[in-house]
Amino acid sequence: MFRKVLIANRGEIAVRVMRTLREMDIRTVAVYSDADRTSLHVRMADEAEHVGPSASAESYLRIDRILDAARKHGVDAIHPGYGFLSENADFAAACEAAGIVFIGPSAESIRMMGSKTAARRTAVGAGAPVVPGTDRGGTAEEARAFARQHGYPVLLKAVAGGGGKGMRRVDGDADLESALRNASSEAERAFHDPEVYVEKLIERPRHIEIQLLGDRHGNMVHLGERECSIQRRHQKVIEECPSPLVALHPEMRQAMGEAAIRAARAAAYYNAGTVEFLVDQDRRFYFLEMNTRLQVEHPVTELVTGLDLVKLQVEIADGARLLFRQEDIAWRGSAIECRIYAEDPDNNFLPSPGKLTRLTRPSGPGIRLDGCVYDGWTVPMEYDPLLAKLAVWAATREEAVSRMIRALREYDVGGIRTNIGFFRQILEDPEFRAGNLHTGFIDEFLARNRTPQAPPELAAVAALAAALHASANSARPEPPRATGASRWLDTGRGDLLR
Amino acid sequence: MKLSLTIDGAEDHIEIVAPAPACRFCLGDGPERTAHVEAPEPGVYSILMDGRSYEARVEEARGGLVVVIDGYRFEIDVRDPRRWSRRTHGRRTDGVEDVTASMPGKVVRVLVGAGDAVEAGQGLVVVEAMKMQNEMKASRAGKVVAVPAKEGATVAAGEVLVTIE
Repeated sequence: MFRKVLIANRGEIAVRVMRTLREMDIRTVAVYSDADRTSLHVRMADEAEHVGPSASAESYLRIDRILDAARKHGVDAIHPGYGFLSENADFAAACEAAGIVFIGPSAESIRMMGSKTAARRTAVGAGAPVVPGTDRGGTAEEARAFARQHGYPVLLKAVAGGGGKGMRRVDGDADLESALRNASSEAERAFHDPEVYVEKLIERPRHIEIQLLGDRHGNMVHLGERECSIQRRHQKVIEECPSPLVALHPEMRQAMGEAAIRAARAAAYYNAGTVEFLVDQDRRFYFLEMNTRLQVEHPVTELVTGLDLVKLQVEIADGARLLFRQEDIAWRGSAIECRIYAEDPDNNFLPSPGKLTRLTRPSGPGIRLDGCVYDGWTVPMEYDPLLAKLAVWAATREEAVSRMIRALREYDVGGIRTNIGFFRQILEDPEFRAGNLHTGFIDEFLARNRTPQAPPELAAVAALAAALHASANSARPEPPRATGASRWLDTGRGDLLR
Repeated sequence: MKLSLTIDGAEDHIEIVAPAPACRFCLGDGPERTAHVEAPEPGVYSILMDGRSYEARVEEARGGLVVVIDGYRFEIDVRDPRRWSRRTHGRRTDGVEDVTASMPGKVVRVLVGAGDAVEAGQGLVVVEAMKMQNEMKASRAGKVVAVPAKEGATVAAGEVLVTIE
């Protein structure tokens, strides 16, 4: 087994990986940028190496610097976490070339599954269903033939596209030609390429993904699904296992699991990986992409299967065989995860970096918190706003939802804004509780939900707290406002509270 | 002590008759009430009132205080009519407007210079934080009179980026 492993990452995932490594009696090496000197992963590690300035392009994304640190500290292996270099085939290859084990799939598998188009080809070759589409531009006649064959609504998409430019929904024959013209000219303006293709539009799709685990000896199992339909701007924010839909239709788990394994086998995949599917309202599923790394939301799978995915990743990378077969995997209870972000839900979800002045963590039965924050830490503005993943486990989904609401009520982060309160509103929503999820859920939720009306006695309590707080802190002369610092929090208790 | 309040935009007033911990107070023209108040942590108030236990978390935000109780959020501005003048935020009355950073971050682009004429809704400065860019726009047409924002500089939320006349 490895003696020492470098974690080529930061934030909560670096901390998460270190926890398992420590349990495995493996020494940990952190890397850090200028902004992260006092971050938790550096404080927690056995050894640490500075790899550059705050900008990730000059630090966490620098293959040469990460490998220099690995050689200097004499590590046996590198765990890439997620993001940064985790799906970089060149990095995986460079590790192997340097005689350091990359804890993940082979560089070749990453190449085959890393890009959406290459992965789609691999999946189609392996017989996995994909969203029907023409894949390339064509005439209006071809578009009409496709739409009639697969049924409206369809989606027009720019071949060179992205960001919604050149994208049009079409509901019937009558609108097709003008929509094609408009989409095409929009694509021409945006990408200098007027080509537009047609895809079947999946209305109110669910995002359900399958966790895979394979060793280097050809054994592969799936660890069931995670439902990640609750997204904001295409970013998952709540994930759960089991999926409320799959819980009602257990045969879906096996069908999707087998499709995922077929696609991954076509890429000679090993280590942990995830195949993402879109699921339509008739419960048909379509291959979306494969993530060739550990997922952010892996804790919900760990909670219901009782497995430690990081430990398994490390053992597989070390050449071990899987000690269980598909029929040995059991799913027990229900787990939900919320991604706690430094962002302001009352201000259009704008980022909210800054110094934490107060931190109360939820605890008690069934709570798991994977975080990287501590009281007094300044959340850097250079990286993504994920502060922690709050996950709960309970025997049933209903109990898990109640437990999550309870945990969110205990959770208090002061000094910066977070989405903790927003999650509570979503989890209390009847549609969420009923399990009626789809990727547009949050947009619809925001449209139908007004800020909840507080009970009147709370307004009196709030007024009293504000009055006492303001007068307690007004004893000192008012400092200039331009500093941006909180004078209330600096002064603490005042006259009225002595 | 009598204080004027703005609670979520509505004007009100509160009188603190007896200080904490055995606090007595009147909200608006309502009856005198009693509450037992302790501050176990900075900015955290444990309030026992009518047999119920409340925990209020108070933070300074732009434009006043934010009080959160049991997930409900109140924006409250407190003024002592005798001692404090009403604080002004951002918008001034003299036809001059300060465009401020709506989030802390780094100034990545300054799109205007002093003397430029700007339209309402025109982008002035781009601030970036946590991989997200946010364009600060002019809320009305006018002439740029000052641009304190510098490319590459770090700004706090509420910091003046551009002044328009």
